[in-house]
Amino acid sequence: MNHRTPSVGTSTPRRGVDDLLTGRARYAADLDRPGQVHVRVVRSPLAHGRIAALDTAEALALPGVLAVYTADDLPDVRIPVRLPFAETAETPPLLQPPLARGTVRYVGEPVALVVAEDPYTAEDAAELVDVDIDDLDVAATMAAATAEGAPRLHESSPDNTVSTVSLRHGDVEAAFSRADVVVRERLTMHRHTAVPMETRGLLAEYEPATGLLTLWGGAKVKHFTRQALGAMLGLGPERVRVVEVHVGGGFGVRGEPYPEDFLVPFAAMRLGRPVKWTEDRAEHFVATNHAREQEHEWEIAATSDGRLLAFRDRAWCDQGAYVRSQGILPGLLPALHAAGPYRWEAFAVDSTGVLTNRTPTGTYRGPGMTEATFARERALDLLAAELGLDPAELRRRNLIPAAAMPFAFDAPEQPHVPPVRYESGDFPASFETLLDAAGYEALTRERQRLRRSGRLAGVGLAPYVEIGAVGPFEEAFVEAADDGTFTVRTGVSSLGQGVETVLAQIAADALSVPFEDVTVDFSDTTAVPMGFGAFASRSTLLAGNAIALAARDLLAKAAAEVGGDPGEVRFDRGTVRGPGGATAPAGRLPAGHGRFDKPHPGFSFGAALSLVTVDAATGAVRVLRHAVLHDVGRAVNPELVRGQLAGAASQGIGGALLEELVYDEQGQPLSTSFGDYLMPTAADLPEIDVFVVEYPTPTNPLGLKGAGESGMVGTPAAVANAVADALGAAARPVTRLPLTPGNVRELLRGTPSPQATTVHP
Amino acid sequence: MNETGSRQDPWLPPLDPVTVELDVNDSLVTCTVEPRRTLADALRGAGLTGTRLGCEHGVCGACTVLLDGRPVRACLVLAVQARGSRIRTVEGLSGEREEPTGPGEYEGNGENGEPGGGARLSDVQRAFRDGGALQCGFCTPGFLMLAQGLLADEPDASAERVTDVLSSNICRCTGGVPIVSAVRAVQRARKEAGS
Repeated sequence: MNHRTPSVGTSTPRRGVDDLLTGRARYAADLDRPGQVHVRVVRSPLAHGRIAALDTAEALALPGVLAVYTADDLPDVRIPVRLPFAETAETPPLLQPPLARGTVRYVGEPVALVVAEDPYTAEDAAELVDVDIDDLDVAATMAAATAEGAPRLHESSPDNTVSTVSLRHGDVEAAFSRADVVVRERLTMHRHTAVPMETRGLLAEYEPATGLLTLWGGAKVKHFTRQALGAMLGLGPERVRVVEVHVGGGFGVRGEPYPEDFLVPFAAMRLGRPVKWTEDRAEHFVATNHAREQEHEWEIAATSDGRLLAFRDRAWCDQGAYVRSQGILPGLLPALHAAGPYRWEAFAVDSTGVLTNRTPTGTYRGPGMTEATFARERALDLLAAELGLDPAELRRRNLIPAAAMPFAFDAPEQPHVPPVRYESGDFPASFETLLDAAGYEALTRERQRLRRSGRLAGVGLAPYVEIGAVGPFEEAFVEAADDGTFTVRTGVSSLGQGVETVLAQIAADALSVPFEDVTVDFSDTTAVPMGFGAFASRSTLLAGNAIALAARDLLAKAAAEVGGDPGEVRFDRGTVRGPGGATAPAGRLPAGHGRFDKPHPGFSFGAALSLVTVDAATGAVRVLRHAVLHDVGRAVNPELVRGQLAGAASQGIGGALLEELVYDEQGQPLSTSFGDYLMPTAADLPEIDVFVVEYPTPTNPLGLKGAGESGMVGTPAAVANAVADALGAAARPVTRLPLTPGNVRELLRGTPSPQATTVHP
Repeated sequence: MNETGSRQDPWLPPLDPVTVELDVNDSLVTCTVEPRRTLADALRGAGLTGTRLGCEHGVCGACTVLLDGRPVRACLVLAVQARGSRIRTVEGLSGEREEPTGPGEYEGNGENGEPGGGARLSDVQRAFRDGGALQCGFCTPGFLMLAQGLLADEPDASAERVTDVLSSNICRCTGGVPIVSAVRAVQRARKEAGS
């Protein structure tokens, strides 16, 4: 018998870390190909206008410049939507062309591409491209875009909206008519985004002899990028190879197909030379997906003893100037997360995507759910204040009980809308775990102590649910070699999370072999024919289960060779042994194959808790304690998952207090450097307390739930609730983020606005 | 010392390439660059790609190197300005207080050949590894050089001082607090070792 200790559940040290520590790791900008040339994208300086003329002569005349491409040189293609449920009848005419065709719709929109021998020369030449644009009126905010007589961004959308996602559950009118208390508030989350430390970068090489195009630097959704490029470049996906390299953070924005993902290979094919592009930081702030800007009109009906009856959420979600590869997700995801972990009798959600003359939006870690959680949990705190109830007690009375699992709201099924169904978990017990472990009572005593010493101090809470495990499926292959090692191939991606370590742990256990003998390879689309990528906290769950199935298949193939049941065969240093003593060389076995299907996504529970102080004179907020809890189903590698949760919470604190993509009324971006877009540093952050709970789900063999984003989801809401608690009833309510010193001072100066919160009857 | 540097007309024509000899990690690196080329680009062009560019405007600190022992942003220094100075990059970090790494730990990318890439880690690198002070690793070389400079210059820096100095760089994955803890751990370990 094999008594090997399982690897799953242990904090196995992460692989490949030494390459990162010594500078040996290669990111996209570190790659070079012989004969490579460099591109610079010429971008629109105006938010809205018609291109009257584009003069490239002066740029072309600069020594070292090889070509300048405009939309006229390109096929008339659009960057497609990559998720079927995020595509609607409205989206096709709103998709973005790689270079603007006639009209520019945001500052930073690509209008031309310069190719030169050297990146400095390419940048010089880009400044010589003369773009003559006739101004059009600008819709710089969602309010401006939806106002009467607003400038129209796209012919196909007379009211500058994309699609509206509507969810209905129960009899909302009846529930509201029975309410003792109704609370209404308009809650706004601001535009901010992922901002990974590595900007985007690509290197493309086309071999005319074989017709093969290789693209380095694409990560996250390699297989989709391959398909999309194959179609757009007229090559066919089998001629496109997308190779992932080290990645300096993804967080949702990296690795989606962007205009540059078409332009760089296009230039490589046209010129027959390898083409390299490295985004600069100012470009990143206008070119890479923005996120988060939404307004929610929330209305809650409750009884006087704090039972939640129903809510209405009318949401407006900024899509920016085009619909990008994630389709209507900016409007769809908040709708799916509005209800959260509570047992509502009824609700009505209408969430509309709005087009504005600003950078298009996509998903950023905890997309939609972070915004929805902020709106709902802020509204719940306003309700708790109305009722004179402790905020924790209000949540406690309304969380869906464990006995109700699996739980589904009886919303009618619709195309494009995945069902909101909670598969497993114990929300109340998990919530109590956070309150006990993080010391809710002690934190409230600390708050009182700080207040007695004259400080403004507050505690805030935010439970949430998070979508994860988005399908449709993932495949894996497991191969044994004669030297005793195993290679696992899968279609997900590594974005710096350590997923390769976690997947090797799962494979090692499934094969009953040492972790050290397993290598995971997912860097190349030729290694695995199909895959969906790293998003929506799905990689460990989908690829992990596919790997477990592939390992089982390999064991079955081994058993066919050496006899016995699959559970009885053993791998031993390159030899496979049957129970009867028969052996065979492991390298002779065909690869084991596994495929794990997940037709519907799953949801998992978590909560955040924050203690803050506010400096009454400056308005500066300081987070003294911050705790996050998440139900991961089963923690494959507890240290790595804790790192993910703490890192995501740190980003959430940055989003709540510092980060904002500001535009002026002409749609000019004002946050295009790290001097203007403030990122949190060690001096702005507390040590994050992380609590991982494990309620395995029965819906996949490994019992896993997603975890990579969860530390984010409740964090801005908890911080906002804590700041509101610190400011007290004398200040205006916290209804928008970020809580910068200036914004907090404004809240402190203001009187409570009587219209903001209304109470019936 | 490089005496030609101090004697030269400071206003070089910006686009005429000049040959610059740089003292990097105790090796001589000769590069021909336009005077406008940054030290970061020159180092990266010489194959020392561990110095990374996160913003090119001196805020994120991913390109931090030591210039005569002091941490500087290599994106804000021109290559020609670095003549005559001792430059240390992440590739040269593993020289002291080192330990051999286990076999196979470097079987990563398969693209090797950069100078100083020996299979050894310094105590600061080990503390980062053991303390979860990195995830994607992009900002790590800059933080390592910043920490290296601080530990050499102010071995007894207070916790507040360490936080203050390390908050001049940005780490998006961890937020930076685990990096402060790792540097504090190095301070303690060095004190215990009596070094």
